Amino acid sequence: MEGKAERLPLPRSRRRSLFREERRLGAAMLVPSLAVIALVAAYPIFYAIWLSLNEYSVITPGLSRFVGLDNYVDALGSSEFWAAMKTTVLFTVISVGLELVIGLGMALVMHEAFRGRALLRAVVLVPWAVLTVVTAITWRTMFEPELGFVNSTLSALSLPGADVVWLGEEGYALAVMILADVWKTAPFMALLILAGLQGIPRDLYDAAKVDGATVWQRFRSITLPLLVPAITVALIFRTLDALRVFDLPYVLTKGANGTETLSLIAQRELVTNRNTGLGSALAVLTFLTVMAISFLYIRLVGGNIRALTKEQE
Amino acid sequence: MVRYVIALGLALATLGLAACGGGDDGGGGIEAETLQPSDAKGASGKVTWCIGKDTSGAFNTAVDDFNQQNPNLEADLLELPESADIQREQQIQRLRAESSECDVLGMDVIWTAEYAASGWLYDLTPVVEELEGAFIPSTVETVEYEGKKWALPFNTNAGFLFYRTDEVPQPPTTWEDVYAEAKEGNGLVYQGERYEGLTVDFLELLYSAGGKVLSDDGETVEIDSPETREVLEFLQKGIEEGAVTKAVTTYEEESSRRAFEAGNATFMRNWPYAYALGKESAIADDFEVAKFPGYGGNPGAGVVGGYNLGISAYSDNPNGSLAFAEYLTTQPVQKEMFLKATLPAVATAVYQDPEVKEEIPFTEELLKAIEQAEARPVSPVYTEISEAIFNNVFEVLQGRQSPDEATSKMASEIETALQRF
Repeated sequence: MEGKAERLPLPRSRRRSLFREERRLGAAMLVPSLAVIALVAAYPIFYAIWLSLNEYSVITPGLSRFVGLDNYVDALGSSEFWAAMKTTVLFTVISVGLELVIGLGMALVMHEAFRGRALLRAVVLVPWAVLTVVTAITWRTMFEPELGFVNSTLSALSLPGADVVWLGEEGYALAVMILADVWKTAPFMALLILAGLQGIPRDLYDAAKVDGATVWQRFRSITLPLLVPAITVALIFRTLDALRVFDLPYVLTKGANGTETLSLIAQRELVTNRNTGLGSALAVLTFLTVMAISFLYIRLVGGNIRALTKEQE
Repeated sequence: MVRYVIALGLALATLGLAACGGGDDGGGGIEAETLQPSDAKGASGKVTWCIGKDTSGAFNTAVDDFNQQNPNLEADLLELPESADIQREQQIQRLRAESSECDVLGMDVIWTAEYAASGWLYDLTPVVEELEGAFIPSTVETVEYEGKKWALPFNTNAGFLFYRTDEVPQPPTTWEDVYAEAKEGNGLVYQGERYEGLTVDFLELLYSAGGKVLSDDGETVEIDSPETREVLEFLQKGIEEGAVTKAVTTYEEESSRRAFEAGNATFMRNWPYAYALGKESAIADDFEVAKFPGYGGNPGAGVVGGYNLGISAYSDNPNGSLAFAEYLTTQPVQKEMFLKATLPAVATAVYQDPEVKEEIPFTEELLKAIEQAEARPVSPVYTEISEAIFNNVFEVLQGRQSPDEATSKMASEIETALQRF
């Protein structure tokens, strides 16, 4: 007891003040980065919120009036907004779901050791490297009625669907958009999951094999649970991206036939129609939707990660 | 929680008062400086011309020639993207930032009212009045807004009916006949995608039927009319009965041209640019251009297209800009643009030029079509008006909306647009 007391070189109060000093220093060192974040993230967000509370004249430049929440009432009261919300959510759920399944499959294949693995990994990433606009133009050309690759192939093989106007029908248009997105971003998903796979220690599998676990059991009980953090990160990235999708529908259909997304209507009001107030309100609503969904993710899956790390400890 | 709400409310209220205070100034008529014809004389310095992509090379040639002939001036071309919508967005971004980067603006004829109302242009009334005798009158109409003239006409355009000579010996003279023959033959293609092109194609029929979008003073909506309903029914029936392929709902100018050139249609509605290109395609010897068909017993009325040249209010060199813009409307340049880029001239005399007549065999029809063509609604909120039109026409083509519903929706959406302050 005595010896322990002796080893405390400083009185209690002094220790507290040192601690406080250190904390103060820590806070001071955070200031520059917080200022940068405030400048690049907070300022535009609050500016957009401010814009959304006003109406700006499209006739007289510089003229504006405060309208409170009118723009939000307009936006939330329009069937356009809810149709766009439905399309965006549908697009996100289906495309991210497909990307997860396909990406996981691709990652599992790429993880196996075989000749030409490095080459395969590089090749798989090609769609991801192509600009989205270029992807969209390519898909649009492929699905062009009558002359496009899809219709002419179907007709050459005398398969049904040769006279379908893919981008001109509700449902099909959205399907093409989802297909293009999956084609482009499944490799990205695969890459993130592959990184997660490589972090799983080999000896876990060896131990499981010794215990007589089947391939499926090893996948279910080792691979999948240990991949959860990687998959969560990939899902958050992709979901947020998909919720803000703009370039695909803009090029493929200009938003016609049930492909109008939230970003598309916000851009149209903001840029094309110069309704800065309403456009900003739509942008803020999109932002809130994205925020809500990412919080949900972190709540649901993030809790999972914490439980997992505790288990591992 | 309640405290936060109250605090937020108070904060918003203060901000609101601030905004009201700021909002009171401004307003009133259009404030713009005026350029006189004499201002162009002896001008010097640099001039930047911002216009859509120079796909034919004719714009660059014009700039080079100008620089050679005018040693005191240095013109420069800033190419904007090919799509008119994006050209407008990029110009507006610069104008809102009061950037002096663009001096001479290549403006689609439908942007005049918006740019003028926003105070982005020099008033060119005296200049245009001195030169307008040389221009086709309908092209001068496109530079007018609130009794003033805001730009020099640069090129013009009007839609045409293209037909396959091997399938139809005599081109039909009414849209009713076009549709009937298209149904028997291989169909008609036009620009049916949800965009500006569909507004134009619809207005051509509406104007021919005697319908209108706005009253002459631009204040009241007049689109809710029997003519609108009739034209919409006509368009819907065209698709339903197979005179027009459903694929047109995905067609723009280029995709309809490709379909026509691939032999997938007997008729095509398109701009004259498709003529020169078609003459290099597989059907080169099998198509011609016909007079624009009439509708409902009336003669056909096209819609004026083309570009005007405005001078940015933020230009550092308005005098030099005027000299350059005037140069672009002179006969030799107009002829060059016509021949090299199939951009129809605004100067009437060019249509009498023997070389032009030989190169473009339908010059006479073209001149007549442009003379008869009408302007699209002149309004600072034109983009929204057009959006109301093409969105609802599109829903009719898709069979998702009845002509009746579409007509009243169009009218109420245009009404909302006109209410913008």
